[in-house]
Amino acid sequence: MTLTSSTETTAPAGIARAARGGRRLVLRLVGAVVVLWGAATAAFLAQIALPGDRATAIFNIRAGQAQERTPEELAPIVDAFGLADPVFLQYLHYIGGLLRGDLGTSYQQFRPVWDLIGEQLAATLTLTLAGIALSWILMVGWVTLTAGRGGRFRNVGAAVDTVAAALPPYWLGILLLLVFALWLGWFPVMGGSGLVGILLPALTLAIPLAGFMGQSVRAEYERTLDQPFVLSARMRGMGDLSVRLRHVLRHASLPAVTLTGWALGATISGAVIVEQIYSRPGIGKTLVSAVGAQDLPVVTGVVVLVAALYVVANLLVDIAYTLIDSRLKTS
Amino acid sequence: MTVIDAARSVRSRSRLDPALVASIVAALLFLAAAIVPGALAPYPPTALALDGALEGPSLAHPFGTDQIGRDLLSRVIFGTRESLLIGFGAAGIAIVAAVVLGSLAALGGRVVSAIVGRLIEVVFAFPILLLALLLVSILGPSAWTQVVAVGVSTAPGYARMVRGQILSAKNAGYVEAARALGHEPWRILRNHVLPNAIRPLVAVFAMALGQSIVWASGLSFLGLGVAPPSSEWGALLDAGRAFILQAPWLTFIPGLIIVVFALAATTIGTRIQRSLEKGE
Amino acid sequence: MTSLRARRTLVAAAGAAMLSLLSGCAHAAAAGPAEDDDTIVYAHQQEPQCLFGGWIEQAYVSYQFLDNLFSLDATGEAVPWLAEDWSRSDDGLTYTIELKPGVSFTDGTPVDAEAVAYNFDYWVAGGNSTAQVWLGGYYESAEAIDDVTVEIHLSRPYTRFIENLTQSYFGIQSQHALETRTDEENCRAPIGSGAFVVEEWNRGENVILTRNDDYTSAPANAQHDGPAYVKRIDWRFIPEGITRVSALKAGEADAIYDIPAVEWADIDEGGYELHKYVTPGRPQQISFNTTRAPFDEEDVRRAFILSLDREKIVGAVGYGVIPYEGNGAISRATPGYDEEAAERYTFDPDEANALLDAAGWDERDEQGYRIRDGKRLEAVFPYDAGTIINADGASMFQAVQEQARETGFKVDLIPVAASDTWSGAYSTPDSYDLKAGYWTSVNAGILYINWRQSTEDDPNYANSAFYDDPELEALIEQANSAADTDEQNALYGEAQRYIADHATSFGLYDRLSTLGVSPRLTGVWQEHAQGGPTFYDAHFVD
Repeated sequence: MTLTSSTETTAPAGIARAARGGRRLVLRLVGAVVVLWGAATAAFLAQIALPGDRATAIFNIRAGQAQERTPEELAPIVDAFGLADPVFLQYLHYIGGLLRGDLGTSYQQFRPVWDLIGEQLAATLTLTLAGIALSWILMVGWVTLTAGRGGRFRNVGAAVDTVAAALPPYWLGILLLLVFALWLGWFPVMGGSGLVGILLPALTLAIPLAGFMGQSVRAEYERTLDQPFVLSARMRGMGDLSVRLRHVLRHASLPAVTLTGWALGATISGAVIVEQIYSRPGIGKTLVSAVGAQDLPVVTGVVVLVAALYVVANLLVDIAYTLIDSRLKTS
Repeated sequence: MTVIDAARSVRSRSRLDPALVASIVAALLFLAAAIVPGALAPYPPTALALDGALEGPSLAHPFGTDQIGRDLLSRVIFGTRESLLIGFGAAGIAIVAAVVLGSLAALGGRVVSAIVGRLIEVVFAFPILLLALLLVSILGPSAWTQVVAVGVSTAPGYARMVRGQILSAKNAGYVEAARALGHEPWRILRNHVLPNAIRPLVAVFAMALGQSIVWASGLSFLGLGVAPPSSEWGALLDAGRAFILQAPWLTFIPGLIIVVFALAATTIGTRIQRSLEKGE
Repeated sequence: MTSLRARRTLVAAAGAAMLSLLSGCAHAAAAGPAEDDDTIVYAHQQEPQCLFGGWIEQAYVSYQFLDNLFSLDATGEAVPWLAEDWSRSDDGLTYTIELKPGVSFTDGTPVDAEAVAYNFDYWVAGGNSTAQVWLGGYYESAEAIDDVTVEIHLSRPYTRFIENLTQSYFGIQSQHALETRTDEENCRAPIGSGAFVVEEWNRGENVILTRNDDYTSAPANAQHDGPAYVKRIDWRFIPEGITRVSALKAGEADAIYDIPAVEWADIDEGGYELHKYVTPGRPQQISFNTTRAPFDEEDVRRAFILSLDREKIVGAVGYGVIPYEGNGAISRATPGYDEEAAERYTFDPDEANALLDAAGWDERDEQGYRIRDGKRLEAVFPYDAGTIINADGASMFQAVQEQARETGFKVDLIPVAASDTWSGAYSTPDSYDLKAGYWTSVNAGILYINWRQSTEDDPNYANSAFYDDPELEALIEQANSAADTDEQNALYGEAQRYIADHATSFGLYDRLSTLGVSPRLTGVWQEHAQGGPTFYDAHFVD
């Protein structure tokens, strides 16, 4: 009896809320698709704008000699890849392929772009995620230890954050490689597989990111430490570390959660550089070489994929944010 | 105000932040190196000394020499102008683009703000390096390309910031009050919203400067930068890499210079921002 | 309650992330074989896009799994490999080649005359662009006379034809594989009859080659016959020189390619075996664009060369390891090399200044550059930054720029990004004044490729000096078809001196192929056609 009456009163409100949430979700998805389409089109246009002749580039790379080529030499390549079609036709072809999930065939490697990127993407993603995970660990540890304590401790903490955030990945990476791999020999020099090999590259990405996130988290952290609910927790007899970890951290990490979405894009950029320094495989190298070869399918494939990842990551971040935030609201 | 209060405020002002002092000194040194490198550098930057290659830091060469005997300190000093110009140019483009785009996104009609907002998201979705790579391929590697590439790629981040600032300023209390008092929307915009949204940008520009130099040097590191014998810092860092086992200072020092500059710029920027916030 | 659940979910998420990380790493670990005495870990520099093709980086790899008809020995003579015997007709237009019987490709099909003939046509039709360049203008057809006899027909005599076929561009692939498989498969794992087989290729990481246990066709200049000693080669791609060197020192790599000159002494003293191969063919040289100012005048070109102390530059940047090369046409390791042409120009800035003054470039502007009729003595010098020119080369060009400045030349060094290089930017007569580049070749026949005239019907884009001189071309063609090697060398020598006299190009250094080998590994040597490593005779000693 009571059940029916309560559902009767709350049902319309619940449905309305669900409808609103649903509509918002649909709008977000539409927005995401628009972003992806924009990214793919922009990449296509940029490739068309590249100077020089694509067929010549492909031929020269295969031959290892950079020079002008005769039309006869180029004819088979032009035919094979439809390079003589009008631009708009090429564009339609390409968009159609994307919709089918077909990213095209690489000009140089004779195989589907999806395969090519797939094998490389895993390596870069692993590195990126490892870097982000490590940066969270570093940042949480450092901020928890040094925020809101006596003057000097706090200043040192903040200073380390600032310095770390300013470290360029190419400089830090070379230094870490030099000291820990070349001089001390603690880590392998040739991008070893497994945890040992990924630690230095991930650290190179993690340290600046940790510093950057630490700066915003620290401010939020110190603000939260003065909040009444924290004081009440202390008065209830909760230990200092416990307070810091269970109560303060959750509030303070909100800005870092938002930043993590952005961090994915920034860290992938850093990953390209780190892959060069530590001789690791990944889409960074693939991308640079593909741009060099004007291998359009590969470039646009990577761009669309990364844009898609970015959109997904931000959606996840938004969800995580609301989860943490709502928990805060209810607790 | 009592005497005690006055004394306290004097003491707090004279308790100068050592980080800020160091940053200002560094900034002045960099500016001096950019404006009158010839006065500071002990040698011309391209002077060869094929017999004195790869020497470590010494009294004669405080930063050592490179593989064809050029003095690294002089090269760093002469490279300052180029690096700073690239950094200023990129940060300038980024901030200007950010203000334009951010304003449109925040203040334009529904269609305009939606389109511009989406545009910002699209460019933001590109990893900075990819965008820079494409631009370099189109424009050819040069200082200008670095400026444009870094400026364009970093602009969306600041555009979002500007949009956020304008939106929050638009909805702030005093704006509502002004509206309630019957002021024209255009005057409200000009006198209240924009100034409050734009003022923090000075600090952001300083921080953007630090970031731009780091990204531009990253491009040079990948070999997409200026032509030799330019001694732009990133180019120096890249050139030194091949000798890292025999002459690590060739890579370490240019990198250190970049870090010092980025830190100085960021510190000055955050201090300005902090004092602005206090002022409000 | 809620905070506990939140924490648990976070921990679970972190755990999942770590698991995926570890599984990803496990996969990566499976990608390469465990280090053992049956596997050679070799750190190479550049990774090609396909394992067979016209780039030297492809030849280096394909040499491991493709056999050629002939092998080049240390004296530059062709010795048997897949071909047991051969003869040439009197008019020099027909070559009869006898194949070794009983050899099979690793897909089971026989290495017979038909397959060999097929390969020739395949190369010329575009299967290998460099093979195409070498055969162009000379090759007509290939015919299988019987199972083991092939006849090659040329349109003109080509004295060094057999020697050219020793480069891995002319490796013999399975006809069945080429005809029935996709381009992608033939790019990823070409099938030959060699001592190793391509097992897998992890792009950006390595190529795993495994031993061909049924191998019977070793070249005559190998150290043993039968299958190779080691079971596997882990051919890794490590673009950074320092990383390769450190890997060798740390024992992570058993052999490495291309040791930076600055590290040479260290490796030598460390007890590692060093191999140095001076690449024959066109050295790393700089050509002048002879079709436009300022280098359309011979005296100005001479003045430029005389302004440079090339020997000192190469000595300083190369640490005495990189050989200085004065000859602008071919390198000292090439048969037919002319010493006189190499010594034509030495460092003489006084002479350079005199020549420029006499040519009318006698005024200087405020920065010290020479001017004539208001125009500055300026030269555009683009170079491929990265793939063709390495860091040492770039340093040398900077030194060249600086030394040329002393005599009043303004050299605009332009590092060209890879995309522009491959798409042909800076390759036309209106886009540069100085161009650097090398070209590997087993003999001086490279002169024909680099100095042949470019005509409407038969353009020659490899003539980077755009120097169309019928006299020079006639000289080279005569040499190509000369009756014997002595006559040929004499004629090639004349051509080199001609090039030096007219100062159309000048040499800087000879391209080197260097190998560093761990003392644990023995039997590694560099094949003589292009200086690539060969691991057929290699085995571990303890």
